[in-house]
Amino acid sequence: MPLFQRAPSWRALLAMGVLVVPVFPLAAAADETSPAAGLPLEEQVQYCGTCHGSDGNSTQAGTPSLAGQPALAITNQMIYFRERLRQAEIMTPQARGLADEEIQALSAYYADQPVAEAEGERDAELAETGQEIVASQGCASCHASDFSGREQMPRLGGQREDYLVAAMQAYRDRTRGGPDTTMIDIMRGTADEDIEAMAHFLAHLDD
Amino acid sequence: MTLPRLTRLTLAVSAASLLLGGTMSTATADEHEPAWAQGRSAEMAESSLAPHATPMTTTTEENLPVDDIRLPDGFSAEVWAHGMPGARMMALGDDGTLFVGTRGIGRVYAVQDNGDEREHQVIAEGLTQPNGIAFRDGSLYVAAINRILRYDDIESQVADGDVSDPEDLTEAFGLPDDEHHGWKFLAFGPDDRLYVPVGAPCNGCEVDEDTHATIHSFEPDGSDMQVVARGVRNSVGFDFHPETDELWFTDNNQDWISEHGPNDELNRVSEPGAFYGFPVCHGVGLVDPELGSEGSCDGVTMPTATMDPHSAPLGMRFYDGEMFPEEYQNAIFIARRGSWNRSLSVGYDLQVAKISDDGERAGLSPFLVGLHNPTENSFSGRPVDVLQMPDGALLVADEHNGAIYRISYETPDYAE
Repeated sequence: MPLFQRAPSWRALLAMGVLVVPVFPLAAAADETSPAAGLPLEEQVQYCGTCHGSDGNSTQAGTPSLAGQPALAITNQMIYFRERLRQAEIMTPQARGLADEEIQALSAYYADQPVAEAEGERDAELAETGQEIVASQGCASCHASDFSGREQMPRLGGQREDYLVAAMQAYRDRTRGGPDTTMIDIMRGTADEDIEAMAHFLAHLDD
Repeated sequence: MTLPRLTRLTLAVSAASLLLGGTMSTATADEHEPAWAQGRSAEMAESSLAPHATPMTTTTEENLPVDDIRLPDGFSAEVWAHGMPGARMMALGDDGTLFVGTRGIGRVYAVQDNGDEREHQVIAEGLTQPNGIAFRDGSLYVAAINRILRYDDIESQVADGDVSDPEDLTEAFGLPDDEHHGWKFLAFGPDDRLYVPVGAPCNGCEVDEDTHATIHSFEPDGSDMQVVARGVRNSVGFDFHPETDELWFTDNNQDWISEHGPNDELNRVSEPGAFYGFPVCHGVGLVDPELGSEGSCDGVTMPTATMDPHSAPLGMRFYDGEMFPEEYQNAIFIARRGSWNRSLSVGYDLQVAKISDDGERAGLSPFLVGLHNPTENSFSGRPVDVLQMPDGALLVADEHNGAIYRISYETPDYAE
């Protein structure tokens, strides 16, 4: 049985209203396959590393680190991108055409990479405020008491601060799609300053 | 006739719960809780109980748990189709194409049987939990959370490998699009009407009894909506008795009240529009601690049978095939997806419900077991739907492994 099945035409999906208006040209999108698809893992890692860092620790503003993430957390998000279930104009084209096994191998690779030290200085007062909010929000109940993540729930400890802020804001503002709406419910109505404090605490967890 | 239009409801905090001061902490805590945690008490805040994630990737054939499966003597299980992550509800086309819905992965699969092996295609993707699948007069009906679609002449389209745009019947059906319990089951009744449940948009809350926690029926074009059953928290499976035409359905009861209650249900509709208890009365007469009061279970239609709390009975079908022994005639096979909201897990099996002579009650016994390992508190597969094939074999969809197993029967040697 073929592992990768024929998908319905792009035009049909558009007509169904399944897809949001794409930001890339239709013609390119029709045959869109990730440049990384089919490459050996080492080359795929180099390709992903352009943005996510060669060791999975991102040094690029707004781009998440993948190092030390639970493998399933990466796998599920990649599949959301590939299946166009999560709105992401950058990542969907990177994920289209990747086989399940390729995604799982990449996820396993990044799960094994050590988490690098956080950028920037830790502000003790802000971190303390963040720690209190994180405790009251119950983040640890899913993301684990050391915030290293668990199964499909991502690591928060040592993630880029700017990415944590952007992700939490996107959940709150309902601009981050995806089949799992858990975080949308949790972030509803959370103030920017609370998000910033939580992100600071989590990003500098091991400082 | 003016059609009542179903609209989105906001969750109402009932007057009853406002009077019960001690319960208010849960109501406020809910604002920042994910949907599945609604109703979790403050004492349970640190609980590790949470829904098990459904794999979104392919399980390879050698890793399928078919060898774990245990069945009564004479029955055997084989892998019929696989490689379809999230495979859930099944419907069979007139020419033998099997259609399979999903939830999280957003796909609809079509499986063609070429004799020795099965091949599948993805015929729709990017949908929001397209769980409901039904086939009638050459057309495939798909119910996602927010859409009802009809693919005409679908089997020849699948054979050609090119599926064109579906008819969008969303407006005509006018169903609510709540995420919570918003994934829908679909089936045609013997009256040629399309039956659609609408789950409660919550774990427990007051609902408009004409729009939520209901089973509706419609003409296939979405007209002439009727309420078939009320007070049904979340039914994700039903079928019609082959002789009486009565609708029987499974219902999933409330989480977080207790690990050991309320029981999940098998119900029967003998009176259209009857009330099955949600949100005030659960199982066989458990008054809801927050929304119920003395007498809440008066007038509630009680289940024909109950199942372990949180065991999640989903897809169910009557058996009237010729392959299985006589004792299974008009019995119901029920797929139980298995629990998450209790420490000692339960379910992950098929139960068979044999109906009493008066047709009003059912007795349950295990039929397919082995996917659940109670000593390890673990599971290797999650049955979510069953389907009788023309030869009388029974297909079982395993959502966890994206596989479909075929259960067949041969009289054991010693019985001949």
